Amino acid sequence: MLRAPAESKYAEELDYLESIDQGHKPFSWRLSPRMVRIFVLGSERSDGLDREIPQKWFGDRSFVERSIVTLASDRGLLLIGDPGTGKSWLAELLAAAICRNSTMVVQGTAGTTEDHIKYSWNVSMVIAKGQSRESMIPSPIMTAMEKGVIGRFEELTRSTSDVQDALISILSEKYVSIPELGEGEDNIVFAQPGFSIIATANSRDRGVNDLSSALKRRFNFVRIPVVTNKKSEAEIVRFRTTELLRRHQIDLDVPPTLLDILLQSFADLRAGAASATSDDQKLESALSTAEQIGVLEDAILHSQFFGDSTLRAATLASSLVGSLARRTPEDLAILNKYWHGVVEPRSKKDGGEWPEFLEGGRQAIATLS
Amino acid sequence: MSPFDPLREQLAGAAAAFGTGLVDDVEQALKAELEIFPVCHHSPASALAMARRLREKQPKVIYLELCEDLRPVLDELRNCRLPVALQAFATDIEGFPPEWAPLSVIAPITESSAEYQAIAYALDTPGVEIVLVDRSVDHVFQWEPRERGEAVGVEIGDLRPRFAELEEHLLHHGKVRHWSEWWDQYVEQPLVGADYDTYRQVMVLIGSLFRRLRPQGNEMDEDRERYMWTRMREHLAATGADPDTCLYVCGAFHAASPVMGEHLDITPRTATRWLYGLIPSSHSAIEEQFGLAPGSVSIASATWSKAVKRSGVTPYQLGSKSKARALPPPTPLERDDRLSGFLTQPPALDGFDEAELLGWCVDIVRLARRNGYLASTADAIAIYETSILLAGMRNRKRPTPYDFQDAAVTCIEKDVVPGRRDVRRLCEIMLGGDRIGQVGYDSLPPLARDVLDRLEPLGLDLQKRTLSRALMNLDLNPELAPCSDLLWMLRYLLPEGAVKPIMGSRRLGERSIQESWDLWLGKHQRELIELGYEGVTIEQVMEQRLRRAAWDPKATAAVVLGAVEDSILFLGSRRFTDELGARAVELLSAERTVDDAPEVLRRIRRLLAHYRSSGGALPGWCEAFVTAGYAHYCTLLPSAFVDEDTGVRQVGAMLGFLFSMESLAISLGCDRAQLELAVRQSHPEAPAKVALVWAAQFQLGLLTMADLRSRCDDLLNNPLVVPSVPLYITGFVQALEPAPVLTPFVVEVLSGAFGRLPDDVLLPWLPNLITTLRREAPELVPVLVREAGLTYPASLAAVDAWVPPWSAQSAKGTRGRAPVVAGPVTGLLAAHPAPTDAVAALLGCSGEWQTGDTGSGGPGHAEVAALLNAHPEAAGAVAALI
Repeated sequence: MLRAPAESKYAEELDYLESIDQGHKPFSWRLSPRMVRIFVLGSERSDGLDREIPQKWFGDRSFVERSIVTLASDRGLLLIGDPGTGKSWLAELLAAAICRNSTMVVQGTAGTTEDHIKYSWNVSMVIAKGQSRESMIPSPIMTAMEKGVIGRFEELTRSTSDVQDALISILSEKYVSIPELGEGEDNIVFAQPGFSIIATANSRDRGVNDLSSALKRRFNFVRIPVVTNKKSEAEIVRFRTTELLRRHQIDLDVPPTLLDILLQSFADLRAGAASATSDDQKLESALSTAEQIGVLEDAILHSQFFGDSTLRAATLASSLVGSLARRTPEDLAILNKYWHGVVEPRSKKDGGEWPEFLEGGRQAIATLS
Repeated sequence: MSPFDPLREQLAGAAAAFGTGLVDDVEQALKAELEIFPVCHHSPASALAMARRLREKQPKVIYLELCEDLRPVLDELRNCRLPVALQAFATDIEGFPPEWAPLSVIAPITESSAEYQAIAYALDTPGVEIVLVDRSVDHVFQWEPRERGEAVGVEIGDLRPRFAELEEHLLHHGKVRHWSEWWDQYVEQPLVGADYDTYRQVMVLIGSLFRRLRPQGNEMDEDRERYMWTRMREHLAATGADPDTCLYVCGAFHAASPVMGEHLDITPRTATRWLYGLIPSSHSAIEEQFGLAPGSVSIASATWSKAVKRSGVTPYQLGSKSKARALPPPTPLERDDRLSGFLTQPPALDGFDEAELLGWCVDIVRLARRNGYLASTADAIAIYETSILLAGMRNRKRPTPYDFQDAAVTCIEKDVVPGRRDVRRLCEIMLGGDRIGQVGYDSLPPLARDVLDRLEPLGLDLQKRTLSRALMNLDLNPELAPCSDLLWMLRYLLPEGAVKPIMGSRRLGERSIQESWDLWLGKHQRELIELGYEGVTIEQVMEQRLRRAAWDPKATAAVVLGAVEDSILFLGSRRFTDELGARAVELLSAERTVDDAPEVLRRIRRLLAHYRSSGGALPGWCEAFVTAGYAHYCTLLPSAFVDEDTGVRQVGAMLGFLFSMESLAISLGCDRAQLELAVRQSHPEAPAKVALVWAAQFQLGLLTMADLRSRCDDLLNNPLVVPSVPLYITGFVQALEPAPVLTPFVVEVLSGAFGRLPDDVLLPWLPNLITTLRREAPELVPVLVREAGLTYPASLAAVDAWVPPWSAQSAKGTRGRAPVVAGPVTGLLAAHPAPTDAVAALLGCSGEWQTGDTGSGGPGHAEVAALLNAHPEAAGAVAALI
C-alpha cells in the first residue's frame, strides 16, 4: 500500500490503547476521549503508560481537546485554517482513533453533487430489479451514518451551497430519507450512535462558497493556525520526512544544519510575505509547513536518484526555488531579491552550508529565468 | 561497591538537604519572634485566611510589606472605590540619572486581597497601628540600577517560580494554560477552606520551594528582608509593643527568609522630591502590569465573593457600618505538622456547581447575542455539555472558568468575529468583567479638586464614568466663560478624549458664541490626578509646560512662537507672553537653518495680525522679532538659494517674511539695501529657485514684467529646457507668498505651459503638480484658483470668443504705440527723418513714421482727454497752482 490510512498504520498502538483504556467511552467510541488525546498528541510520563506513544500531530493541545470534545457532543467539527496546517491529518487521526475508520471521506469540489453526500443508484440494477436498497449506492457519509462512525468532508467550502445545505439535515435530524423507496421499504437511514462529521475548510477559500448560518450553527469551528514556532516546526518536518523516507525506502540522513537552513529561509520568506503590501510582492505559496516538507522530500528524492545519495545544500536550494517559483516573473523576482538580499549576506556572515545553498539557489533561479 | 556510590551519596545528600531545607524554613517561620502571615497577591484564599485570623487574634500592630513612605496615603483609601493604586511620583529628580524622569511607583490594591483586609482592619479598629516596613520608593530606585521605561509596580507577595522550565512543566502537567490558572487550581482552591495553620504552613512551604529553586539572584530580596526586619525591630524597641500582639504580613517568598535576624544599615534617601497620591486602577491594568492571564484578577474577585458567601466570614471593609460580632478569645497558634496531611491528600476541590455553570452558559449566550453572534439556547446547551467534557478530559470534576471559556469559544466562535469583542473577551467580561476603581473627591490632589470645583457651574456630575455633554451659550451665560477657558486648557493638557470640543474653537482672533463639549473626566481620572503632581492649579501646570517647551534644548523659534500663541489663548498673561517672545527672538537669531521658515512666517503673521487688531502698540518682542528676522533671513538668503538641502518652500517663506514685513522692518530701522544686496548675491541653479529669484527681482524692481514674460517664453521655446519647465512653475507658485502681485502672471505661465508643453512632459507632470500644490502650498491654491476664475470665461459659449488678457495686451502693445505728442521736437524729427532712419538702420530697427496728433493726448488717451475736456476747472486750478 502506498499510503496506509492512520488506523492500519498505527493499528498496534490503537490496540494497545484500547486494551488499557478504563475511561468512559461516549457512544460507540473505541477509545475514551483521554486516550484519543494521548494517541494524537503522544503520551507523557504522567499518563502512566507502559510504553511510549509518539506524538503525531503538532500544535496547541487545546485545539485537539476542543476537537475531541466537539465530536463527543452533538455537533460536527469544522477544522479551518491555511493550506498545509495539518487539518486533514488531524481529521484522519481523530477518525482513526475514535472509530478505527478514517476512510469515509467525501472530497468537496466544485463538481460535488448531493448524490456524493447522500446516495446514488446503480443504473443497470435499477433497470433490472427496480429501485431497492440493493440497487442503491450509499455515499461515504451515509455509510458512516449506518455504521455509527466518523464521516469526513474535505474542503467543505469548495462545494456549492446546495451541496452544503444537504448536510444540514444530516447534522440535525441525523437521518436521510430515500423517497424513491416506498413506505415500509426501509426508506429511512438513521444514523447510529457515534456518527459525526469532521469537515475541513481552507481559510484562503473564504468567500468562494460561504457557509450558511444554519450550517455554521451545526458545526463547532476550530481554527488551526500556521505553525510559527521554530521548534515545533522542526519536529513536524522531521516527523513527516522520516515517514516519507520510510515510504520511499530511502536510507538518507537529513543533516540538522540543512534542516535549520530550510526552516530559516521559510521563516524569512514568511516575514517578507507578512510585510508585503500587494499580492505581487509575496509568493503565491502559503509557505506552510506542508510546503517545507514538500521541498525537503523533493530534495531528498533528487539526491537519491540523481545525486550521490547525500543531501546537499545546493540540491535543497534548487528544490526550494523549484517549488516556490510558481509565477514568472513575480515569484522569481521575489526569490531573486531574497537570495541577494538575505542569503548572500548570511552566507558571508555565517558560512557553513549557506554558501553552497546560495550557489545552488542562484543557478536554479538562472535556469528558470 | 559500585563506582557510582560516592556520586549516589552526594546526590542523595543534596536531595535530602533540599527537602529538609523546605521543612526547616517552615519551622523557622513558625518560630519567628513575630507571627508571620504569608500572602500571595490577588489571592482570595489569602484574603479569607487574613479576615479569619484578624477576627481571631485582634492584633494591635500590623507590619505590612509595602513601601514605608506610602503610609499617609492609606488613610485616603476610605474615599475610594477599589481597585485603586497608591502612587509615588517624582518629576524633579536628584541622585538618579535625569533620563529616568518622571519616576513613578504604583501599588495596586484590590478588595479581594489580604493586604486590603489588613489595612481595613487596622484603619477602622481603634488602637490598632499599621506600620509599613518595606524600603521607601526612593530605595526602590536606588536599588534598581537598570534600564527602565514604564512605572515600576510594587506588590505584596509576588509568588511565581521564577524558573521558566519549572513553570512550563507545572502548566503542562496541570493541563492549564497560565500560571494564574495553575495557582488557582492547585493552591488557591484547596486552601480556601483550609484552617489557618495549614494555610500558613503551605504558603511558607511554597515560598521556600520557589526560593530554593533559584538560589542565586535573591540578593536584593534578602536586602529587603533585612530592611523590613530592621524596621520592625526598631518599631518594637521604640514603642515597646508586645510581639505577641503583632502580625507581620508579607509575601510567602519573604516568609521563608534566611536573613530574619540580620540588620541592615539603611542608606539615606536621595534629595528627590516625592509626591504621593491615589490613582484609579482596574483589573485589566493590574493584569497587564504584572503579566497575569487576562481575566485572572476578575476571576479571583469572583472567587472571593463566592468564598465569602460560603464561609460566612465577614470581611473587613473601610467605612463599613457593620460591627463585628462578639469574638472568641484568640486561639493559640498550633505548631504541629499540617503539611504531611495536606500534601498526601488529593486536593479537596469544590463539587460540581451545576447552577453556576448553567448561569454562565445562559449569560454568555445572551452576551454573545448582544455582540452580534448568532447564538441561541442550543448553544447554551452545547457549551454546558462541552465544558463538562473538557473538564473531564483535563482530569477535573468541576469545569474551571478557563474550561468554560474554551467551551464557549468552541461552540460560539465561527470564522469571523461580528462585533468588536470576540467570545474569549466576552467570557472575561461575563466572569466578573473589568472593574475600574475611582478615587473619591476628598482624596484628589488640590488641582483635580480645583478643576472639578471650577467646572461646577456646568451642572454635570463629572466624577461618573460615562461621557457627558456640556452645552454653553457664552452670550446668554457669560458666567460660563471661565469654564470654557478651563476646558480649553484641559484639552491642551490631557490626552485625547478626556475633553473634546464638538462645537466651538479657540484660535487667535476668534471667539465662540456657543460651545459644546464631550467631557469624560471620570474615565481619565488618573491623568487628571497626575497633572496634580505638576502643580496646584491648572494655570501653573500650563505655564510650566509652555516654559518647558520653550526652554527645551531642541526648541526652535517656530515652536516658541507656538507657545506664545498658546499662552495668549489660554493664559492671557502679558508678562509671560513677553518672556516667551523674547526667547523666540533669541532662538531665531541663533538658528543656522531655515527649515522652519514657513512655520515661523505663518505664526508671526498671525501674531502680528492679532496685536494690530486688538489695538495698542506692538509688544517690544514683536518688533525685535521682525528686525532680527529681517536681518537674519537677509543674511541667510544667498546661501539658502544655493543650498541643496533647503527646499523651495523654505526659500519662498524667507522671501515672504522679507517682503511682507518689509515696511514694518524699515520703519523700525532696517535697511532695504540689505535685501537688495542679498537678492543680487543669490545665484541659484535649481530651476524652481531660479524662478523664485526672478520673482524677488521683479518685486524689488530689478526686472520688469516684460522681462519675466520673455524669459518664460524662452524657456518654452528651448527644447532642452522644456522638461524642467514644471519646476520653474513650482517656483513661481511659491513666489506668490512674497509677491502676491504675480498671481495673474502665474496663471498666465500655467496657461502657457498647458498650451505649449509637449504631451510627454505635460501629462506626467499634471498629477505631480496637483500633489505638490496640495502638499507644499495649500494656502496658495485658493488664491490661484480665484485668479484663474477671474481670468477664464465662465461659460462654455464664451470660450470660443475668449482672448487671453495677456495676448490682448501684447496685441494692443504692437498696435497702440506710445502716443506721439505734437511739439517742436516732433516737428523737427518729422521734418528731417534721414538721421533718425539711419540710426534706426544701424540699430537694426525697422520703424515707420507716425504722424503726430495735434489733439491734447494720443489715441491711447482718448478717455483722459474726454475727461479733461468735460471738467476743465480741475486742470485750470492745477495750472494756477503751478
